[in-house]
Amino acid sequence: MKYFLSSAIILLCLAAGKLIMHFIDASFPAPLLAMVILLVLLLSGIVKEQQLTPCASPILNVMPIFFIPAGVGFIEHLGLIKTHWPFLTTVMIIVPFSSLILVASIVGHFKGTENNE
Amino acid sequence: MNEQISAITPSLWWLTIPFIIALFLGLKMLNVRVSHNILKSLTNPVFLSIAIIALLLVNLDLPYAKFSSHSQLLSWLLEPAIVALALPLYQQFMHIRKNFLLIFVTCSIGIVNATLVAFVLSILFAAPSQLSASVAALSVTTPIALLVTDSLGGISSLAAAMVIFIGLLGALFGFLLLKLIKIFNFEAQGIAMGTACHAIGTAAAIAEHPKIGAFSSVAMALSALLTAVIVPLLYPFLVSTLL
Repeated sequence: MKYFLSSAIILLCLAAGKLIMHFIDASFPAPLLAMVILLVLLLSGIVKEQQLTPCASPILNVMPIFFIPAGVGFIEHLGLIKTHWPFLTTVMIIVPFSSLILVASIVGHFKGTENNE
Repeated sequence: MNEQISAITPSLWWLTIPFIIALFLGLKMLNVRVSHNILKSLTNPVFLSIAIIALLLVNLDLPYAKFSSHSQLLSWLLEPAIVALALPLYQQFMHIRKNFLLIFVTCSIGIVNATLVAFVLSILFAAPSQLSASVAALSVTTPIALLVTDSLGGISSLAAAMVIFIGLLGALFGFLLLKLIKIFNFEAQGIAMGTACHAIGTAAAIAEHPKIGAFSSVAMALSALLTAVIVPLLYPFLVSTLL
């Protein structure tokens, strides 16, 4: 019963997300909207954490397996990657490191930069 | 040799999902046994699974379309799994109420910076629009990057591979960079790692210090939500105003 309730909550939120996106005809991903809906339901206390855990925990534990097929899809674009590798390499280095420096500097400005153990 | 394998494979495509699961679990067991920080990042099971399967498909000349259709069930399950991400998000929200505003603002700045920098680089390198959309949402956990990139018209699989590489780079060099710019504060290090280098960076943060790991987890969870909201609005705005 607890597995049924847990999976029903997840699937109903997903269905609500898909339905809303269908009617408003926007490009926002429906599963993400469903995630926000579920988060609001949890924060408002309508859905309890223990009602969601039976299915949510195991599915989250194996989640990385689900995006392996999509990740492999880059092999269909090897030509594009070969042509634009300087751009892609630069992005992979500059984007995370600029964000690291920026975010750490801002938090450091407010909280101090020294070790606060 | 390749021709012989290609001749045998039609009857073996049903093994696609069991193979992915077995490969991932085997690599995960290997990763759990590795204790060295750098080696642990390099043996990331998702990264290695994608690399091994990609190498097999390319070298054995097997069509990706066949692989994709026979692993469709796993791709479908990604959607309910993304909805279930609300649970760790909710659990992290309970811990950050005191520092919510600071983490919210800095995560938002980090996400805007990542999208803006990637967009400016795509202009400088004259990258095609499809590639530009593919790099708009890279500072976020892979499933969210897949969906957001897809909604922007980018190549989601390329974004997924790049997100994992970014996580690996962050795990390998993130703390070195933070120490170089003399940021030793645990909150600053944790929030920066979670925002910029998502799950793989967070794993490295947990290994560095539990307190840094806690802040990194919170920032990663909040970044997932904020990226889903900010990037689909920001990227079309940048395209319409700067191109």
